[in-house]
Amino acid sequence: MVTNARPTRAEYYKALADNLPAQALVVTSLGNASYLWAALHHTPENFYFEDAMGLTLPLALGLAVAQPKRRVIAMEGDGALLMHLGSLVTIGAVNPSNLTILLIQNGVHGASGGQALTNATLDLAALARASGISHAENLSQPDSLGERMSSKLRRDGVDVLVLATEPDLEVVRPPVSLDPVGTKQRFMAAIGAPRYVPTLFGGGMLAQT
Amino acid sequence: MTTPTPNSDGHRPSDILSTLKRLGFGAVVAVPDSWLGEILIRIEQEPTMTLIRATHEEEALAIACGVRLGGVRVALMVQNAGVLSMGAGMVSLAQRYQFPLLMLVSYRGTLDDPVFYHLPKGRATEPVFRGIGLNYARSDRHRPIGPQIENAATCAEEGSCPFALLLSREDIQW
Repeated sequence: MVTNARPTRAEYYKALADNLPAQALVVTSLGNASYLWAALHHTPENFYFEDAMGLTLPLALGLAVAQPKRRVIAMEGDGALLMHLGSLVTIGAVNPSNLTILLIQNGVHGASGGQALTNATLDLAALARASGISHAENLSQPDSLGERMSSKLRRDGVDVLVLATEPDLEVVRPPVSLDPVGTKQRFMAAIGAPRYVPTLFGGGMLAQT
Repeated sequence: MTTPTPNSDGHRPSDILSTLKRLGFGAVVAVPDSWLGEILIRIEQEPTMTLIRATHEEEALAIACGVRLGGVRVALMVQNAGVLSMGAGMVSLAQRYQFPLLMLVSYRGTLDDPVFYHLPKGRATEPVFRGIGLNYARSDRHRPIGPQIENAATCAEEGSCPFALLLSREDIQW
């Protein structure tokens, strides 16, 4: 049967999980972007957004700057991106080569029930390129994502992959607690982030433990 | 709790920069205003620090959270108007995840600010800060600024929260 249906988020996520680069740090947006990734590939090196719509990309940028030896992969939706389009400009200006951005383009605000976007058919890859990001393209097949993620080719600068996706409005139940503080502490412990030593103990600084 | 800023010559913006360096701040995320412009250029020239210029203060807040998540001490430098416009990210990201962030905020719209159109923002600043539960203090121009920066940074870290220090023009304009 011939179908024009776009792939699902789950199909892209499976392609990503099967081809995840070693030591990758993954930052996921709110809603199913986080719930489904937790269900498919929970590790301490995932940072799940509970809410804060539109802030996944800037947080991932900061993480990429702080962890230049680790690949940082950010999963964001088209609706959330539209809330902070300026972040593309900042990412293009900083342009860290260890940052890969996966944009789920499903044309709706999925996490809030499927409301229509202001503009559901923007060429987001072209928008990223216009924002100073050299490597940006539209993909419509999970296999293409898998190939890109497993590629040994090291690009100079940020990589943006826009994934044409069917909306997924049924909420996925994550298998683990996504408690925000727990998520942060688990993540920072996993990457060996320096810990703050309180002034009472003669510190007042970050120190490697 | 504090130690004197070495080599201070009384130039308060210099003391802010030297204090950040001494405390191991590796990054600053900023949206400039006229008071912040020059110190940001100086930070950009510091080999031990990275300056990220954001397009919007809520975006800057999230970048700073990411830097801190990655284990680097980070300060946010914005105008008070910028804090007014980052409310959602403040409560649902920075405070919700308990990110310790030092926020150095130019306090526009006070009596010693000659630019009239900042007055509405000055009037709203502290009530809004209190409303969103943002811990803050106003700098004291009669005391050295370095220890005040250090105290604010300590409050952020040991309280596991953002802490805003409201700065006057003498504090921050190079």
